[in-house]
Amino acid sequence: MIAYKFLRADGSSVFTGFRWPLPNGAPGAWVDAPVEPCRSGIHACAPAGMPYWIGRSLYEIELAGDIVEEGMKLVASRARLLRPVAAWNDSLRDEYTRMCADRAHEHALGASPQLPEWDAVIEPSLPEGPALLGFVAARIAEERGGVDAYRAERDLQTAWLVERLGLQDGAAS
Amino acid sequence: MAEHVTCQEVVELVTGYLEHALPADEAELFEQHINFCDGCEWYLDQMRTTVAAVGRIQEEDVPPETRDKLLTAFREWKRR
Repeated sequence: MIAYKFLRADGSSVFTGFRWPLPNGAPGAWVDAPVEPCRSGIHACAPAGMPYWIGRSLYEIELAGDIVEEGMKLVASRARLLRPVAAWNDSLRDEYTRMCADRAHEHALGASPQLPEWDAVIEPSLPEGPALLGFVAARIAEERGGVDAYRAERDLQTAWLVERLGLQDGAAS
Repeated sequence: MAEHVTCQEVVELVTGYLEHALPADEAELFEQHINFCDGCEWYLDQMRTTVAAVGRIQEEDVPPETRDKLLTAFREWKRR
């Protein structure tokens, strides 16, 4: 199964610090770990999970062995990084962050009554980057329209990423 | 179920997270929050560091006067 994994700029895992064997013209080495969601196993995501796990660098990852879908993530017992998704660069990260900020303003100022106290947090949050702004946009959408609006905003973010990164919507087998 | 957790909830859940005691759905929301919130990521790192530094101390390793001071401090804190 082909999925996606966000890593830190140095290729280490956000939550465990594990340093992944990076692809260098060819796929990286296989990594093995027993599957236990949120405890052990190799964590990755389908495009629908990307807004929740967004990070500095993005890789296409091949999952094998036991694969479990758990919430917004996929957990596998075996995986290797296939290639960096080069389109996820500084420019696109900034563009995504701005898109989320603009959507957040739309929700805050389009609500009735308006939500000025929410609108005020958007611009100061920009330096924190795309993961926070994605949440802020979804959270203000929720404040305006409830939990369905939160999910809809996350879906919109997914669609934006899928289109701009040239991905297929859904992990491929 | 909620779609997200707050910073306050992260503080309440951090011990359970570090002990792998949270249900999978709660652990996922916890990690989603950590992914976008630098403040909570630092807090989690601090907690990990603290556990690594003092997590092996047994109750009998704590000198009685230190133990009494800590218990008094916790009792005072609870009264507030």
